[in-house]
Amino acid sequence: MRDIFPIIKRIVLYVFLTGATIVMSFPLFWMISSSVKTLEETNSAGIIWLPRNPTLEAYTSIFQNANFLRSYFNTVFYTSLALVGTLLSIAVVAYAFSRIDWPGRNLVFFLMLSTMMIPPQALIVPQYVFFNKLDWIGTFNPIIIPGYFAGGAAMVFLLRQSMAQIPKELDESAFVDGANHIQIFWEVVMPLVKAPLATVATFLFVGLWNNLLAPLIYLQTVDLYTLPVYVSTLYNINLTVQQWPTIMTAAVLTTVPLMVVFFFAQRFILDGVIVSGLKG
Amino acid sequence: MVDNPYLDAVLTAIAAIIFIIISGYGVGLLARFIAKLAGASRKKQENTFAGYLFASPWIVGFLIFVIIPMGFSLYWSFTDYRVVSNAPPNWVGVDNYTQLILKDGGFRASIVNTLYLTAIGLPLQIAFALFLAVMLSQNMRGERVFRMAFYLPVILGFNTAVLLAWRLMLNTGTGIINQLIRAAAEAFPPFGYLSRALIFVQEITSAFFLGLSSGKFSLLTKVWEAGFPAANRVPLWVQSPLWSKMSVILLMIWGCGAMMLIFLAGLKNIPRELHEAAEVDGASGWKRFWSITFPLLTPYIFYNIVVGLINSLQIFEPIFVLYRDNQPLVPSAISMVYYLWQASFRHFEIGYGSAISWVILVIILVVTVVQFKMQDRWVHYDLY
Repeated sequence: MRDIFPIIKRIVLYVFLTGATIVMSFPLFWMISSSVKTLEETNSAGIIWLPRNPTLEAYTSIFQNANFLRSYFNTVFYTSLALVGTLLSIAVVAYAFSRIDWPGRNLVFFLMLSTMMIPPQALIVPQYVFFNKLDWIGTFNPIIIPGYFAGGAAMVFLLRQSMAQIPKELDESAFVDGANHIQIFWEVVMPLVKAPLATVATFLFVGLWNNLLAPLIYLQTVDLYTLPVYVSTLYNINLTVQQWPTIMTAAVLTTVPLMVVFFFAQRFILDGVIVSGLKG
Repeated sequence: MVDNPYLDAVLTAIAAIIFIIISGYGVGLLARFIAKLAGASRKKQENTFAGYLFASPWIVGFLIFVIIPMGFSLYWSFTDYRVVSNAPPNWVGVDNYTQLILKDGGFRASIVNTLYLTAIGLPLQIAFALFLAVMLSQNMRGERVFRMAFYLPVILGFNTAVLLAWRLMLNTGTGIINQLIRAAAEAFPPFGYLSRALIFVQEITSAFFLGLSSGKFSLLTKVWEAGFPAANRVPLWVQSPLWSKMSVILLMIWGCGAMMLIFLAGLKNIPRELHEAAEVDGASGWKRFWSITFPLLTPYIFYNIVVGLINSLQIFEPIFVLYRDNQPLVPSAISMVYYLWQASFRHFEIGYGSAISWVILVIILVVTVVQFKMQDRWVHYDLY
C-alpha cells in the first residue's frame, strides 16, 4: 500500500496539470479554430470544436486587406526601430550603474528605481501636450523616441544586476591594455550578458508589440495604425453580427510573432532571470 | 518634416541619438567640472565624466519625459485647459479636484470598479498562481512544458487580438464557455447547482459594488429578491453590468503565470531538510504547507501583491477592448485609467485629465506605501 500511494498521487498530479494546460491554452486553440470556421459556425448554438470543412476564406480575404497589411508592417517597423534604440540605451545605462564608480551613482540609481512606482499613464497627458508642441502627433515618433532614453527602469535594473556580477578584474586588465569605456562596454561586457540581453529584448518586444494606449493616442490615422489599434477597430459594437472569422484570423496572425519569440526565448525567461534580483 | 512617415521616424531616431550623445557629453562635462571644483583626483574626475556620460540617456530622459511633464501636469491640474480650443490654461484653483472627488459620478464608478478588480481579482490571481506553482514544484518530468503553457498567457496577455478571442468565448448565448457550462450542468446536475450558487454569490457581490458606485442599492435588493438562480441560468459575462468586471477578473486569473514564476523560484529556495524533518515528525502535507511553505513564501507573496496591485490599478486594455462604446456597460466596467483616457483624449480636457492623473498617482503611491508599512506584520524575512 505504501508504495502505491505516491504513484496514485503522481497520476492525479499529471491529470490535473494536463487539464490546467488545456484550460490555459484553450483561448489560443479557440482563436485558431474559429479563424477557419464560417460566420455561421462561429455564431452556432452548438459546440463546434473544429469545423467539418475548414475554410481559409478569412485568410485569403485578410491578405487582400490593405489596412491590415499596412498595420502589420507598421507594427514590425515601429517595434524594430524602438527595440534597437531602447535595448542599446538600457545597456549603456546599466553599464554606468554597474561598471563605473561615480559620485551620485547610488542616488541616481535609487531615483530610477523609484520611478517604477509612477504609472506611465499618469504622464501621458502632459507628454501628449509636449509631443503636440513638437508637431509629433500623427507620427511614429512619440511611440519610438521615449524608449531611446533608457525607457523601462525595471529592464535597466535587470541588466544592471547581471552586469554587476562580472568580475571587476576583466575591465581593469582591459584598462591597462589601453581600452576605453566604450570598448570595454562593447567588447568585454556586452558579450558576457547575452542571456540577460535576450531576456530584456524579449520583454521589450512583447511590450512594444502589445502596446495599445500610446499608439491609440498618438497615431490618429488608419495609415499609421499598429496591429493592436487596427484589430480593435475590427470589432464594432454597433454591428449586430461580428465578423468573427475575420477577427480571429487577424488575431492569429497578430499573435504568431509573439509565440515564435516566446518559443525561442522561453529558456531565458522561465529560468528565473526575473527573480534573480528579488532577494536583497 | 519629411512626408514619408517611415523615413521621418528613422531620421528622428537618428536625431534623437545625436541629441542624447551631445546632451550626455554636456552632462558629463558639467559633472567633471563640479568634481574638479570639489577637488577630486584626476582618476575620480574621469570616472565622474564617464559615469554621467553613460547614465545620461536615463538622466536626460527623466528630465524630459518625467520631471518636466509632471511639473506641467501638476500646474494644469489646477487650470481649465483644453488643447483643442487653443486658449491658454485658465487658473481655477482646486475646482478640478473638488469636481473629481466630490461630484464626478463617472470617476467614482471607475474607482469602485478598480477596487473590485483589486479586492476580488488580485487574491484569486495570487491563489491560482500559488496553487499552480505548488503543483509544478514536485520535481516531475515535463515541468518545462507545463511552465511554458502557464506562462504563455502572460506573453499574449492583454494584446487586443487575444482579448477579442476572449470576447468571442464569453458570448452569453453562443460563447463556448457558457455552452460548456450548460452542457456540464445537464450532464452532471451537482455541477449545475454549484455553478448557480456561484452565480448567485457573484451577482450579490457585484450588485453591492455597483450600489457603492451609484449610491443606490436597488439593484442589490432586486438580485436578492430574485433569489436562487433558475436552472437554466448561466453567467452573463460581457453582456450585463453585474458580470462585466468578473470577465476581466477571468482574464487576470488566466494571466497569473508571471506570479507563478515568482512563487516557483520561492519554492525552490525552501531547504528540503525542513520538509524532511517535518515528515519524520509525522506532519501531513497540508500541515507542512501552512507551517513551513507558506511562511517561507511570504516575501514572494508580498512581492506579488505589490506588483499585482500596481498592475491592477493601471488596468486599461481589457476594458477598452471589451466595453468601449458599450453604453449600458461602461459605468459598471470602466477603470481609472480608462476614465483618464476618456476625459483626456476623447474630450481633450487636459486640465481635468491632469487632475485625474495626479489622483491615480497618489492612490497608487499610498497603496504601495501602506503595503510596505504593513509588511512587518506578516512577511517573514528572518527565516532565510
